[in-house]
Amino acid sequence: MNNTLDIKRFGKVLRRDGLNFFPNLILSLAILWAIPVVIYLFTSLMPTDGTKNVFDAFGRINIIETLTKIAIIIAPARLYQYCNDSRKGIGYAMLPASTLEKFLSMVIYCVIVTPIIYVAGALAIDSILALFNGPYEGFAATYYFNEFAQIDSSIANHDVAGLLDDTWPIFVKNLSPTFLRILSLLGLLTLSSIFMFGNMIFKKRKTGKMIGILILLAIIIMIISINYVANNEALIEYFNQINENNVTEFIERMIFIWMNVALYTEIIVSALLLFGVYRKIKTQKY
Amino acid sequence: MIKINNLDFAYKNTQVFKNISLEFPKGNIYGLLGENGVGKTTLLKLICGLQKPQHGSVTVDGLIPSERQPQFLQNVYFLPEEVITEDTTPEKFVQKIGVFYPRYDFALFNQLMKELEVDLSKKFNELSHGQKKKALLACAMSLQTDYLFLDEPTNGLDIPSKALFRKVISQYCSDDTTVIISTHQVKDVENLIDPIVILDRDDVLLNASFAEIIDKVYFEYGPERLQNAYYTEMLPGGYINVMPNTEHLESNVNIEALFNAVMKNKETIKNLMK
Repeated sequence: MNNTLDIKRFGKVLRRDGLNFFPNLILSLAILWAIPVVIYLFTSLMPTDGTKNVFDAFGRINIIETLTKIAIIIAPARLYQYCNDSRKGIGYAMLPASTLEKFLSMVIYCVIVTPIIYVAGALAIDSILALFNGPYEGFAATYYFNEFAQIDSSIANHDVAGLLDDTWPIFVKNLSPTFLRILSLLGLLTLSSIFMFGNMIFKKRKTGKMIGILILLAIIIMIISINYVANNEALIEYFNQINENNVTEFIERMIFIWMNVALYTEIIVSALLLFGVYRKIKTQKY
Repeated sequence: MIKINNLDFAYKNTQVFKNISLEFPKGNIYGLLGENGVGKTTLLKLICGLQKPQHGSVTVDGLIPSERQPQFLQNVYFLPEEVITEDTTPEKFVQKIGVFYPRYDFALFNQLMKELEVDLSKKFNELSHGQKKKALLACAMSLQTDYLFLDEPTNGLDIPSKALFRKVISQYCSDDTTVIISTHQVKDVENLIDPIVILDRDDVLLNASFAEIIDKVYFEYGPERLQNAYYTEMLPGGYINVMPNTEHLESNVNIEALFNAVMKNKETIKNLMK
């Protein structure tokens, strides 16, 4: 018997978690699906100066993306709420499947299935609302998958890579559409792994506690960064050289550097947190 | 076979087991007895892999439970004392988990539900506490695992249900199945368990079959209290005296009297049964 990964047994774990998916998460997803409908009604009812209120497709895509992130944040605690509970989690721990199978199933439902189902539902609702002669003009679904193409063209218009000299590593200079896609998906993976980890370490109010920790971390990082910059003369001198002629170049360079820092941070953070989730599933005591 | 060697276990600053060794050969219904808080549930959790020994080892058929390998998990089932159910029917619940167990038998589940007089059509949350407990017992037994661990299974059951519980355990557990029943309500498992394991704080006071017990201990029912008895208790119509069986007389084990005798004469009976 393969005690690490058996495809047939993994299928059973996926099926079991799938059976729990809708009863545990559907209400939360329904609330998130209702938000664009509320925005539609609110925009329809807003007083106008005679012209029609319009909420364009790109704005709606941004809302759907934000709500997708919220779905990802709440999914682990809704789907695997009791997996580390000393009493209610016994069934999960004793389920005859390997740690890897349980872990992969958790990742699939939290990282892949939840956003896909939310986005599919949200785009379907948006399309239905766009059929009426209301404030929703254009179909968000039409533009949703072209978003990266727009970013690509905006990057192409600014020769950001050309701004960096040869001392910068190749990966920084290759700001390709693939890079942006990876960065965007990695962002979702990182977000999910943060809250999957929080779900494994906290017993109660898991999502709230994890948000609290993130806020605390952000404040600490901000304080450290401000102190670092304030005490670094070379950096201060560099900032002093910024004027109206080179400010755009500076901002673009900063964004460019930030994206690469984000890429590596997200890879490291996701890998560490996912390993932490795996270890917690394996060693959790009940 | 379950083997426990030189096991040490503590919760933070509370020592539960100190250097205990025990063996549970296959195919018996063990009664794990002890006062509240001696570690009966903890021992079951260690055998199931829900806890990890701090020192020593626990193995089940050569496998280490705390590694929670599927090969181990598909052969054990632990029914905790507290009734924890999902918002579904027992039928759907058992179908969901049954696929993971190689000898799971849905027909047996239906039969057990019938024998235990549990309504098949109702969801768990529509059943009473005792009914839930019986439904979970039917689920557990239908999985037909080699090892079945029941933690205080008769808590919350009414008198007819306790009788049904004894009936299904003795009737439907195969000769290869090892059942460990942890309880402090010894009367509920009378005529069901053999051997008996009695735990004390940090220690195992007794681990013996009925045959071994009656070979060394004599249960005398009579009109008077005997001076050399380990333990004497007044019963309607007389006394039960738990005596050393020096003359190899035959008697029937009274588990409650035995338990009390062991608790009153820990070292004496421990040494006697060695």
